[in-house]
Amino acid sequence: MSEVKVKKEKNVSDPVEVENRIRELCQQFPHGITDQVIQNDMPHLEPQQRAAAINKLLSLGQLDLLRNSSGLLYRMKDAQSASKMKGSDNQEKLVYQIIEDAGNKGIWSRDIRFKSNLPLTEINKILKNLESKKLIKAVKSVAASKKKVYMLYNLQPDRSVTGGAWYSDQDFESEFVEVLNQQCFKFLQTKADMSRDSKQSPMVQRNSSFATSHEVWKYICELGISKVDLSMDDIETILNTLIYDGKVEMTVIAAKEGTVGSVDGQMKLYRGVNPVIQPTGLVKTPCGLCPVFDDCHEGGEISPSNCIYMTEWLDF
Amino acid sequence: MTAQEVRLCGLLLREHFGEVVEKVGTHLLRSGAQNLRTIIHETGLPLDLVKKSLCVLVQHGACNFRSGRKGPGCPTEYQASGDRILRILRYPRYIYTAKTLYGDTGELIIEELLQRGHMTMSSTVKTVADRLTQNMEEGRSMDYSEVTSAFSKLVETQFLQRCPPMGGARNTKDTTPGTPASTALLTPESFPDCYKVPHITLIGRGKRRHSSDDGEDQKSAKKAKMDPETHGDEGIYWQVNFERFHLHFRDQAVISAVANKLDQTCSEIVRTMLRMSEVTTSPSATCTKPLSANEIFRSLPASYNILRPILDQYLTLLVDDPMEFVGKAGESGGGMFVVNLHRALANLARATLESAVQERFGSRSARIFRLLLRKRHLEQKQVEDFAMIPAKEAKDMLYTLLSQNLVQLQEIPKTPDYAPSRTFYLYTVNQLPTARMLLQNCYKTVANLIERRLFETKESKRLLEKSQRIEAILASLQVSGAEPEQLTEVEEMITAPEKQQLESLRLHINKLDSAENQVDETMFLLEAYVSSTATSTA
Repeated sequence: MSEVKVKKEKNVSDPVEVENRIRELCQQFPHGITDQVIQNDMPHLEPQQRAAAINKLLSLGQLDLLRNSSGLLYRMKDAQSASKMKGSDNQEKLVYQIIEDAGNKGIWSRDIRFKSNLPLTEINKILKNLESKKLIKAVKSVAASKKKVYMLYNLQPDRSVTGGAWYSDQDFESEFVEVLNQQCFKFLQTKADMSRDSKQSPMVQRNSSFATSHEVWKYICELGISKVDLSMDDIETILNTLIYDGKVEMTVIAAKEGTVGSVDGQMKLYRGVNPVIQPTGLVKTPCGLCPVFDDCHEGGEISPSNCIYMTEWLDF
Repeated sequence: MTAQEVRLCGLLLREHFGEVVEKVGTHLLRSGAQNLRTIIHETGLPLDLVKKSLCVLVQHGACNFRSGRKGPGCPTEYQASGDRILRILRYPRYIYTAKTLYGDTGELIIEELLQRGHMTMSSTVKTVADRLTQNMEEGRSMDYSEVTSAFSKLVETQFLQRCPPMGGARNTKDTTPGTPASTALLTPESFPDCYKVPHITLIGRGKRRHSSDDGEDQKSAKKAKMDPETHGDEGIYWQVNFERFHLHFRDQAVISAVANKLDQTCSEIVRTMLRMSEVTTSPSATCTKPLSANEIFRSLPASYNILRPILDQYLTLLVDDPMEFVGKAGESGGGMFVVNLHRALANLARATLESAVQERFGSRSARIFRLLLRKRHLEQKQVEDFAMIPAKEAKDMLYTLLSQNLVQLQEIPKTPDYAPSRTFYLYTVNQLPTARMLLQNCYKTVANLIERRLFETKESKRLLEKSQRIEAILASLQVSGAEPEQLTEVEEMITAPEKQQLESLRLHINKLDSAENQVDETMFLLEAYVSSTATSTA
């Protein structure tokens, strides 16, 4: 009997073996392996079989496909996260990955759509799905109140999204800011008054009326009027508003590194000041405050002769 | 001249000189330089009235004349100067300043000169002496020499100056026939004798006016008395030097600002520095001449005996202050210091603008305004963040300020088509145009106040006439020695509610008057600031 030559390809490996081999390689190189590495390891493997194995692993969710400057990278996926995604399909995994990449700033649904090229309805369905699985959460942004950004469930949202210490539940706390404003001003004013009463030489007087931003911060923390922890930067923004109110002035001095409260070798000093002039003469007349000043003409509906504001002011 | 300025000038002329002068004056202000025939034609007034009004205006320095622009053969043209007419509003302040500096004598001299426009020294001295004698007790009278010395003091400190001689101007023009309007109106300072007191022979004492002379005195109240005696100063007329008064007001504003911001001692130091540089600094200088700390120490008033090192500390404090009233110009002589006049004016003008915004719109809008002044250009989001005001309210306030033109919007496009979604919109405040706008508002306000005052007077004209008649009857009865019952009977002719009405009218008019003076203070600051920027950029 003639032998039937059965061509046995010596290079044929079981697909499962290929996958296992690739998996081992991934574990060897936790940063990821390129196609080149797999080829070097199993030179007998044909590109088609390699591609099939890799695709199988990707679809099983055990490999991560990444791109770097030199080409594609394959990386082992966390077993934990792999279990999370069990039962989800590719699209959800894609969306989840995009959200994860956005870190703690979150990402808007429209941006997810751009990155994944999926239609809007699909995206919404997937997002609802993921939210119900408690994998992601939606956080309302303070910048635009209708905009919702999505981020991973256990991440703390960034300050720029929640607005930091001045916002609580997306509402700007104006009374809180006002109270802080007044307390800081009172502190600086009493300090200035004390130094003025001390009757020492003028230089000493002026220097003692200054307060560093660190001192003000300590005072406010000790007052305990704030439920939220305030940092020195927060106090500095409050003091800046006092400068814009014209009640406080600021100078910067060079300070030795390491002294309490110095930032980059300088300290900011604040001091209460008096206004330079009394309210100006124009505003002591009704015309200076009149809301219809531009409409007022002699002989018109609104004129100096029949001005009701003037009548009230004259009888005052 | 803007419409508001012309309106205000018209009202001032009407109050002080009458309606005819008002008509001629406003016509000249609106149309620029014109010759006599055109004025007569366009105002429709008869020739002699126009001539008299022009005389009044020239006498007070509100109108200048020169030969026509088209050549030497042309009739003379008259031009009104609105600035000079607006100074009428400030007369009370000038008189008050003269009173604080030179006492009653100085006050009366300035008052006489302001009323008459131009006067010779001898006639001023005589009139003032007579007035002072009137108010003294019986038997005492004012010596002419005292008044003369007060007059000389005023001239020395340059509060009074000689009027530029008109004849001399024409002489210089004859030598240059062809040049058109290059002959600018010569300022009083261009004459070397501007501040020289003439030697006059004036010996005597003030005459007390008796009530029998009342009749003839009333006739000569407006016209200068025809005095047959001559005193050696014919043709030398004097006028009030408004610029000098303005410099004084400016110095006072700077000193009070320093006193408010720092303390009394600092303001005294600045006052000393300004006093020392009164005559050495030109009116439009950016800062005074440098003064060394030694000189300042020597010139401090004796009551302030502070030690030299303390003075140095105060000077360092003044230099370090962010308002920059005083600057250091060198190290010789213990440190050379200057007062930064233009910067001080700019700071005062800025404080005025801020206070106007604060009173009108509230302190939060004022916070936004100050923020924009400091940071120049800001987006809306940045404004909300820096000012710590909720977004909705900040937006509302910004739009209100924008509609009142206190804040401007600057567009910076990202793309060549100015698509709104791709443009930056920055809010900004420009100090100088805003100051000018506020100045125009001041003019309108004062005009409104004057009109209201005239209206109130007109409303109660009947009542005022009745009360005047009754006062005249009372006075004549008292002089002729009537009994008390007759007096009370006459007094009761005014009923109680009428008395009340009169009283409230008096209060209203006083309030309006004082308001005019207050707005004039703002006007002065803003005008000084605007003119200081004009000279520094020129």
